[in-house]
Amino acid sequence: MLYPIFEFPGVGGGMIIAAIATFHILPCHLATGGFWMAWYLERRGHATHDQELLDYIKRFALLILIFCFVTGSITGAGIWFASTIISPRAISGLIHNYVWGWATEWVFFLIEVVTIYTYYYTFGKVKPKTHMRIGLIYAWSAWISMVIITGILAFMMTPGKWLETGGFFDGFFNPTYWPQLFYRTMMMLAISGMFAALLAGFMKSGPTKTYVIKTAGRWGLISLSLGALFAVWYYFKLPANAHETLSGVPYDQIMFKISLGIGAVMALYFALLLTGREILVKPVLALLMIVVMFVGIGGGESVREYSRRPYLIPGVMYSNQIVAHDLEAKGIKSEVTRYQEEGFLQNNYFVPPEWRRIDEKNYMQAGMLLTKANCVICHTMEVNGRSSLPGLVTEMGSTSASELNDFLETMGEDYNFMPAFSGNPQERRAAAAFIASIVPDNENEPPTAEWVVNGE
Amino acid sequence: MDINTALQALRDPFGVPFFPWVFQLLMVLTFALHIISVNLAVGGIAVSVYEHFKGGEYNRKLSQMLAKVATISLSSAIVLGVAPLLFVQVIYDPFWYVSNSLSAWWAIAFLLFITLGFLAHYVFYLKRHKNPAGYGLFGLSGLVFVLAAGVVMSALSVQALVPGAWLDWYSANGSLVTTGTTLYKFELGRFLHFIVPSFINIGIFMMLYAWYFRPRADIDGAWLDWVGRAGVKVAKIATMIEIVIGFWWLVMIPADLGFLHNHWLWLGSLLGLLLMVGLMKAEKDPERFAVPMALLSFIAVFGMSAAREVLRMVYVGAFKYSIYDYPVNVDWGSTALFLGTFVMGLIVMAYPLIVVFKLGRGRLSES
Repeated sequence: MLYPIFEFPGVGGGMIIAAIATFHILPCHLATGGFWMAWYLERRGHATHDQELLDYIKRFALLILIFCFVTGSITGAGIWFASTIISPRAISGLIHNYVWGWATEWVFFLIEVVTIYTYYYTFGKVKPKTHMRIGLIYAWSAWISMVIITGILAFMMTPGKWLETGGFFDGFFNPTYWPQLFYRTMMMLAISGMFAALLAGFMKSGPTKTYVIKTAGRWGLISLSLGALFAVWYYFKLPANAHETLSGVPYDQIMFKISLGIGAVMALYFALLLTGREILVKPVLALLMIVVMFVGIGGGESVREYSRRPYLIPGVMYSNQIVAHDLEAKGIKSEVTRYQEEGFLQNNYFVPPEWRRIDEKNYMQAGMLLTKANCVICHTMEVNGRSSLPGLVTEMGSTSASELNDFLETMGEDYNFMPAFSGNPQERRAAAAFIASIVPDNENEPPTAEWVVNGE
Repeated sequence: MDINTALQALRDPFGVPFFPWVFQLLMVLTFALHIISVNLAVGGIAVSVYEHFKGGEYNRKLSQMLAKVATISLSSAIVLGVAPLLFVQVIYDPFWYVSNSLSAWWAIAFLLFITLGFLAHYVFYLKRHKNPAGYGLFGLSGLVFVLAAGVVMSALSVQALVPGAWLDWYSANGSLVTTGTTLYKFELGRFLHFIVPSFINIGIFMMLYAWYFRPRADIDGAWLDWVGRAGVKVAKIATMIEIVIGFWWLVMIPADLGFLHNHWLWLGSLLGLLLMVGLMKAEKDPERFAVPMALLSFIAVFGMSAAREVLRMVYVGAFKYSIYDYPVNVDWGSTALFLGTFVMGLIVMAYPLIVVFKLGRGRLSES
């Protein structure tokens, strides 16, 4: 059963989740990767008695403290909140399968918070060995939190044997788990290299600054190159429908090319850092590179999101949160089948009582509700909105209610890029009538109430 | 379809992977830890800003110390808040998701308020010595934003408890309200009942501070006396206010729920009164009473968290909803993974905490 619908005007709710999730990648990858670099540099700082380098690491830790533990942790919770209001059944489904995974990750968050504050506030006050040990505990904990969350993220892409067994670990160690883990591990080091370069821009000129710039370049270039290799592995592990989407959907292709292009630009930037030239880490330039990197990450994440269409949990739940197929392992029955046979309006609570039975007076309102329940997660209702429903059907050239009704019937089967329509034939006609009504300058005759209600 | 049937049908089809009472217990425990952190953050910011504007050597010093405490407490509050947020979605998913969906913009605003509050407070903490008046405003706005976030969270929790009103809100005036712009229900008494303890806990924290740093020869003893006395005073006044607010909120709760006869309620009230008596005694020697008062306050907050859960069960019970009949698909492997990690986590966290404790007490040699 569906929850109340929330419409995010103009851009659609999916974009809100995507925007928060993409931004979250910057602080969360810095949080997971940054301390490996900090530990490496601190060792050298103590070994060479380089106070300037130690001061730099303290500022680096403060950057992580504020950027990751303010914006990072808030956007992390933010993904949950955004999913809660846009796609509650999806986040609920993930939580009910992986609550112990998230709870385990939470333990590592706790360790991270305790250790990062201890690390920062004990800088120069405890023995170097003790201090570095605390840094290392943080680094391991942060990386292990990635080890866990990657299992849940990869599950959303390729649930693997879980579809047969319903077992936690069968879904966790799924076909794309290992390539994603290695790829993300490399990305965390590359992103840390980028932020290290940004912070180096605030150091005074000299050999320490040159050393930090070169180190950031080395870390960035090596990890980005290895990350590219793991990305190729990841690509070949994707299921066939994801490859079809990648080769058949122009938007997906553009995003894919953007992420590849920006990856190349970042590699070039890291390679230039190897020269140690200070002009490369001028704050304006380094910040610009972070923005560029952010766009590249956005491209990559869009590809990931698009590649699992029309599912949120492949093989089980459609992107509109409706259970698509039976899942014997968990005793779950397809809701689509039930709604197509028994009707959507009768089987959902969040329907105004006077709309539960479609008649000549309410069919347009019922059609609106059915359209939103089926489509609003991916499409906006505004003509000029992002992924606009009236815009897309206009492009498609099927704008009469009758044609739209036929199209809705093909979804999920002949046209399997979209979820099957959830509703009985009468409800489908009501939705078609509503969609036809929001097409701008629609020259077709509006459907009659008789056709919607009785199909004649 | 009536709301009672709908609530059953809204439960997640995947069921829960372990016995519901375990999630409930964890939710109560982690909420208590979360709210203690929230209290220290709100109380820390509020007293810090107040002392900052009041001026004076000790006041400014206290303000700086509490501003630092508030940064750590805010981080802790967010991280500790993740756990109860997770567990409430496991066993009370229909309630939480409907409330958030209906007031979606406010759920987003909550994130914005927390972010702005945290950043404003960090500016206040790091830059306040440069321009006390100007940066003091950052402190003030930090407090306003954090409180605004609290208002939203409290309202979302209250809305979740009134399923009978949901469909009316959603289908107002014969249309479908999919805008999510309205915050429908807020109880001032409930909000204050969770916020006023901020001053109790920050006051007790100040007493602990004085006790903790007393062995340090390099710290001014008179300053510690002053902090301890100020702490007990703040805590005592706040406890008096909390008792009044507690009873005010109690009379606002619908009488037909019968919460007045609940044992947990009276246990919580008893703990509050014990705290009051303890703090009155502590006025003479705040440091001696610091640790017992901290323990008592901890227990009182746990009691409050348990009473909150009992109240929720009473509310949802009116709709024939019980977490105990939630469909269960037991998964022993992942449950063991969490429990094992949790124990390991406590052991690992002990190390940095011991280092900090010893360092603060001057028992750790410098590099």
